[in-house]
Amino acid sequence: MKTLKHISIAFLIVLISGLIVYYLKPNNPIVIAFLFLIVGVFIFNLIIRKSLSFKNYFTSQYNLFTTKTWLEKLYDIPKELMFKKIIEVINNSDFKLVEVDKDKFEILAISTITFKSWGENLYISFETKGDETILKFCSSTLFQMYSWGKNGKNYDDLLNEIESSLTV
Amino acid sequence: MPIVVNLDVMLAKRKLKLKELSEKVGVSTVNLSILKQGKVKAIRFSTLDAICLALDCQPGDILEYVE
Repeated sequence: MKTLKHISIAFLIVLISGLIVYYLKPNNPIVIAFLFLIVGVFIFNLIIRKSLSFKNYFTSQYNLFTTKTWLEKLYDIPKELMFKKIIEVINNSDFKLVEVDKDKFEILAISTITFKSWGENLYISFETKGDETILKFCSSTLFQMYSWGKNGKNYDDLLNEIESSLTV
Repeated sequence: MPIVVNLDVMLAKRKLKLKELSEKVGVSTVNLSILKQGKVKAIRFSTLDAICLALDCQPGDILEYVE
């Protein structure tokens, strides 16, 4: 899937370069349509990002407009307690808690859009394994085919905060 | 782990609830619950100090080494 994404991006770059050379004229309908399409997808993502219902859309491997990072971590703390702990950590972090599903044990947190970042959606789900809990993290960019490291840094910071919060 | 946390025993002896201790100590109930289950990675001296002060006990009353 990653290879397909790299090929798609390379193809897009070549296509856009070609289009710019031939069609970059004021009021060209193809350029305008293309720009509207990009802005439309961005606005669509922006509107639906604050809902857990669209988790599958953002985290799907077929969604080439977002970059995903997956991580699983095992904690020897019961699921219910870990769930509350993660909410507490997110509230004290740079991420903003957007939606919590207490029945499904799912959390959605987002990082806001700044001049340096396009924003990031962080989906966390919890699974029980005996007395332990498996935390499944999925960090997805809002609208970015490539993450230039900023999102990964936010994500690592949160994981470090979870680790350090286990020192009371 | 051979170190057992007896916080629940001390809370019962002092007839205190976890929430009340949380307010006295300034540590969240979630953190105290995790501590009570002995699942924390480490405990700060300042936290131990505050718990001992609130429960009027010694660190040994809360932490016990069991072989």
